Amino acid sequence: MALPVSLRNSVTPPELELIASEQLVEIVPLIAMERTAFISGAYGPLRPPTKAKIPIWMAMNLKFKKKCHIVPPDWLNVEFLQERLIQETSRPEFSQLPFRFAEVAKLLLDVAQDDIQNPDKIRSLLKDIREARQAKSREGLQKIDHSELSLPNLCSMEINEIRPFFVRAMGVLTHITRDAATEARGFDGL
Amino acid sequence: MVFLPPPHLASATRPSYAEAYSNILAAHRRSPLTSASSVIILVAPDVDALCAAKMLAELLKQDDVMHRIVPLSGIADLERMRDELMTYAELHTLILLNIGAILDLPSAEWFGDFSPQLRVHIIDSSRPQNLSSLFAGGEGGERVLIWDDGGAEDLEEERKAWETLAYEPEPDSDEDSEEEDLPEDQEEDDEYEAGSASGKRRSLGEGRSPGKRRRLDADRPPRISREQRDQYHARLDKHYLSGTWFGQSAAGTVYILATVLERVDNNLLWLAILGLTYQYMRCLISREEYDKYHSIYYDEVFRLNPPPPANDTQGLASLGPDDNSLRATDELRFALFRHWTLYDAMFHSSYVGSKMGIWKEQGRKRLTGLLAKMGYVVPFSKINQRLTLLDSFSIPQTQQPYSHMDMDLKRQLRTKLDIIAPEYGMVELSYPSFVRCYGYHTQPLSAADAVEALNALLDAATGVRMEVEVEGARNGGEWFGGGRVWRASGKWGAREVKEQQDEGHDEDANAEGRREEVDTEAEGKDRDSWLVRNFWNAFDALEDIMRLREALGLAMSVQKAIIRTGSSIIDKNDIRMTKGHRVVQLKQGPDLALFTHPGVLYRLGLWLADALRDRVSGANVGRRTKKKSLPLILACWNERARTYIVIGMNAALDFGDVKKNEFGLAFLDAKEDSGARTRHSSFDTSILEVNEADFDKFIVEVYRTKEKY
Repeated sequence: MALPVSLRNSVTPPELELIASEQLVEIVPLIAMERTAFISGAYGPLRPPTKAKIPIWMAMNLKFKKKCHIVPPDWLNVEFLQERLIQETSRPEFSQLPFRFAEVAKLLLDVAQDDIQNPDKIRSLLKDIREARQAKSREGLQKIDHSELSLPNLCSMEINEIRPFFVRAMGVLTHITRDAATEARGFDGL
Repeated sequence: MVFLPPPHLASATRPSYAEAYSNILAAHRRSPLTSASSVIILVAPDVDALCAAKMLAELLKQDDVMHRIVPLSGIADLERMRDELMTYAELHTLILLNIGAILDLPSAEWFGDFSPQLRVHIIDSSRPQNLSSLFAGGEGGERVLIWDDGGAEDLEEERKAWETLAYEPEPDSDEDSEEEDLPEDQEEDDEYEAGSASGKRRSLGEGRSPGKRRRLDADRPPRISREQRDQYHARLDKHYLSGTWFGQSAAGTVYILATVLERVDNNLLWLAILGLTYQYMRCLISREEYDKYHSIYYDEVFRLNPPPPANDTQGLASLGPDDNSLRATDELRFALFRHWTLYDAMFHSSYVGSKMGIWKEQGRKRLTGLLAKMGYVVPFSKINQRLTLLDSFSIPQTQQPYSHMDMDLKRQLRTKLDIIAPEYGMVELSYPSFVRCYGYHTQPLSAADAVEALNALLDAATGVRMEVEVEGARNGGEWFGGGRVWRASGKWGAREVKEQQDEGHDEDANAEGRREEVDTEAEGKDRDSWLVRNFWNAFDALEDIMRLREALGLAMSVQKAIIRTGSSIIDKNDIRMTKGHRVVQLKQGPDLALFTHPGVLYRLGLWLADALRDRVSGANVGRRTKKKSLPLILACWNERARTYIVIGMNAALDFGDVKKNEFGLAFLDAKEDSGARTRHSSFDTSILEVNEADFDKFIVEVYRTKEKY
């Protein structure tokens, strides 16, 4: 109840980031650690210089203390994102992107700039992709009706953006349709 | 061994910085009572200690050690802190930055009575170091570790002398009681005794009563002869009484620690560079020492950063938005020249200003002549220091702030200066230094500018009313006045006075001015609190480049105030010359409140020393040496506290050289002889606050003291 009224309907972006940081990412550790149990599961052992998979929250903590290097996931590079941007701008459907790509990209770019190639180019590509997809979801929302709305390949941040409006709109539309249906039956029944 | 040699001199039996650091970590991890007060860092209020504190905080944070940083303003603060620290049960590490090298720390007066688990680490750049802190063994001594830079290796003779005199009984008890009396006379209420002559004698005495000693003497024959004893005493005297000077910066020491731990990165390197540049800019170290450390950092910069682009030798632009790299460039001696107009920068720099003699009309003409020869035009109206509206088509390049100058002029500036400046006698216009890029936030910031900004924050962020020039407001800019009152942004700004906000004032400047005045009155009572606030302001600015940039404006106003006051002093010929000393007394003036801060007063002294350097012959006032130097005493009247702040400095006759400062001892002697009421307000022994009634006889004693030797 600490959030302002407008945000109570949906999850906030920092919360989404928190959820996304549970995903595993590959790192090159600089320190050694035994297999340790955390609340969400057991991770490790860390044996430098072999790579290991740990959750993003742990990777960020270690990176901040300069105890690991993060290996960016295979979709976080210039070629992949460039290709996807071309797909976005040429075809009317949404292109296939990892479900939580926006959050993961933000987290990794904040902490591990030196481990990622061309971070400013990647940032500008991500922005372009986001704008292209936003335009498409705006168009898609115009086709909303009372029973279903299918927007395939939409990602978690974008879903979160349209969720409050979408839920209310569906509700209102259902209401209107139901009233129209009962009215129509009412006329027939007379 | 209670002093730590630097890593290149360490061996298995002589632990060095890394072992001390890992001991801190181990103590932190294994003690059951660990809390944020287990590791406490006490910091002196200068830029070097600030950078070292930041670096240590970074290292400790990466190792998950909870710590607390406490800024201290002077010896009185340290005493109060010590009493408070006695009550902390979980304290196991105390780190002192630029504090306490001269104090006798193993003694009961300071840390001798603390629990044995406490370790005190001293990272201090001031010398001489107290010999009992360095060499005392035993329970009290093991607590205290001085992080040395290799200078203590040369103190072998002093060590022998100290150990002999400390542990051997003294045969002649008559002599003893005489020596014992003197320390008691010097007990005064709110003093601290410098670890020089009197402190040393006290530590030797160790509180044994004369009677007991006589009994001991009867049992044991004296081991050393009278001549030996005198020799040893003379040795110790020479160590303490030859004056104060500075060794490796605290930030440099912490950087060496980081190197040994293999955890260096650009941030730590930048802070170490700032510490070194601060020492050089305040003339605490000589040019040779600066070059020595500079070459180390130069190699580090090249190791950690990509090579700079070939067409940008002066660090004019960042490569990209994420570019946070360091580059090596040559720095001109103009203060902050990248941030205001070229004419102003040269006018306000102590090197150029003093060579030209800018306090006279003729000097200003020479400066414009120099700029004209280099191809930069200055209009006639500027020479007359009157603000008139200029013809908008011909705004000359030197009138515009540096950032608006043409790129090719900026590039040629160095070469042109090199060609033309020697005609005016300015040969050492540049020195090698570094710049740091901040992506697209701002143009690359040089180390000297960053040091100026931090120093301005430490001196004047709160506690005194400063007007800062708004860019573009000169020559009758858009709005009425040329400046606005400086307010420190963020949590550590001056306290808000709620009542003032209710009164509706249109002019924001007026309202702020009112608030500032009320603040300064309230804060006048609480000098320590604004010093602490300034410290945290500066600490935050180390992180936040926007704050640091704002502080550049403040640094410019401080610089202007210094030049204004300095020029008026020279104009009015206010420098009294007595027996080789030059004394300046500031009793009035628009910036008097600003000059009650010792840091700013010290800079005024440096400027005056530069101005006088070529025009007067030096005086021989050294007690031990026959070399000439330029001793200068500055006194500023503090109206609110009714005292005079007195600073003594010993400037060298050659530019780039430093001489040892003997005023600390001279002041102590003068205080005893004149009976003046004084107080040491900062950690530097050559800065003193004297009650205004006693000031004259105090000064007379200072002259006379020099004659005794």
